[in-house]
Amino acid sequence: MRRVLAGVAVLALSGTAAIAALVVWPIGRPPAEIELTGDVQRGAYLARASGCIACHTNFEDGGAPLAGGAPLETPFGVFYPPNITTDPEHGIGDWSLSDFAMTVRQGVSPDGEPFFPAFTYPFYADFSDQDVADMWAAFQTVAPVTNPAPPHDVGFPFNQRWGLKLWRALFMHDPQTEPVEGKSVDWNRGRQLVRGAAHCGACHTGRNLAGGRMPDAVFAGNDDLPGGNKAPSILSDDLADRGWTVANLSYALQSGVTPSGDVFGGSMGEVVQNGTRFLSKSDSKAMAIYLLDSDVPERRALAGTPSIGKTID
Amino acid sequence: MKPTGIITSAVLVGVASAALAHSGATGIVKERMDAMSAMGKAVKQVAPMMSGETAYDADTVRHAAETIGMHAGDAMTRLFPDGSAGMPSVAKDAIWNDWESFAGLAEELHRYAEGLALAADNAPASQSDTMSNTSVMMGGSDMMGANSMMGSGDMMADDTMGREELAEMPANAVFAKVSDTCSSCHTRFRAKVK
Repeated sequence: MRRVLAGVAVLALSGTAAIAALVVWPIGRPPAEIELTGDVQRGAYLARASGCIACHTNFEDGGAPLAGGAPLETPFGVFYPPNITTDPEHGIGDWSLSDFAMTVRQGVSPDGEPFFPAFTYPFYADFSDQDVADMWAAFQTVAPVTNPAPPHDVGFPFNQRWGLKLWRALFMHDPQTEPVEGKSVDWNRGRQLVRGAAHCGACHTGRNLAGGRMPDAVFAGNDDLPGGNKAPSILSDDLADRGWTVANLSYALQSGVTPSGDVFGGSMGEVVQNGTRFLSKSDSKAMAIYLLDSDVPERRALAGTPSIGKTID
Repeated sequence: MKPTGIITSAVLVGVASAALAHSGATGIVKERMDAMSAMGKAVKQVAPMMSGETAYDADTVRHAAETIGMHAGDAMTRLFPDGSAGMPSVAKDAIWNDWESFAGLAEELHRYAEGLALAADNAPASQSDTMSNTSVMMGGSDMMGANSMMGSGDMMADDTMGREELAEMPANAVFAKVSDTCSSCHTRFRAKVK
């Protein structure tokens, strides 16, 4: 009995030690100082494409731009996209460009805490210094809003931020946005947008029980989105089977109109309304070119079952 | 009534209600689904013309616009009486909780459809890829307005363009307003796609 008790004590101690280690485990790499001058218009375009405005603005309730978005109901709790206006107290008005860079590309807050992956930072990891400087310049033009967004309503254990460090170690991976040799300029631009800024995989890739995107379910669809929404497969073959072409898919990203004459509603409606319809014609065409000829692994028999491993989009 | 009669009636009612539940939409829900399908058919015909996939035909566009107009505005809202939510309808309760917005969008659709019918003879603006710069500028000005990233939150541009102004615009620009209205309304008020 004494041995058992001792064993329990050792386990408890080592468990506590492990958690303590996680709590103090520093994450993120402080970026080199960015000294580039940002271009407001380019930054605003990228912010649109990346969904900053769509997610952090509560359009339905007539909320001010970037003052905090509609709640996102997930199995882990309810997330409230924060106020990211220039208000120094309730927004990001007192941030530096480095804070912003660290947040967008690495998902680490100015005080060193990991953000919840409800914020789609894993897709933005390859943004260049110029991209970040452009976005930062654009954010400076946003009017401050002096109301805070509600705090996240996330229960134990998901409210323990140190847990996210484990999550990062298991499920965070660079997006695959670098140019691929031998592919066209349009295809590569499409890949950069689809796998990066536009973060299509956030909804269209299946997730495991821990909310990590599954490498064998890239673009294979997700029936279990926040708020009961579903995202269909956007694997190239499946898109082609459903009647999508480069022409009608790029037009759908601009207009919401599908080949059947229907018009997107639900979450894809929001994506088009607040995001992709602001893309240039050549960018939406590039996305369609890539999506209909994408370089994702074949769907495996395992797709749909939880698996642990690095995500790859 | 004899016991057998009661049992027979009960069985009949049971069969009838099962049949009703399985026959999908009926009554006003079916009526509005048919109206939506008719508009969808019209959109399907003209969308490839607007995106430059197929040759532009003014008559087809005018007809499609008239079809959409016929099912928009009051013709649409009268098909959404109180208490007509629930399966198999995909109408969200938000329609009745925010009737003003819903009716506003229905009316806007009517205005844009009328505008499209009048603008049908105006050839679509260039569809080539060189359009992209203009398109960036258009997106850009919407996003940033004159003074900020997003203007003052009026990016949905609830412009009150009249039919005369719409009649002067290229057909694809007016069609974009039509499809944006469909999209806004589906996003807010339609529960799910299939």
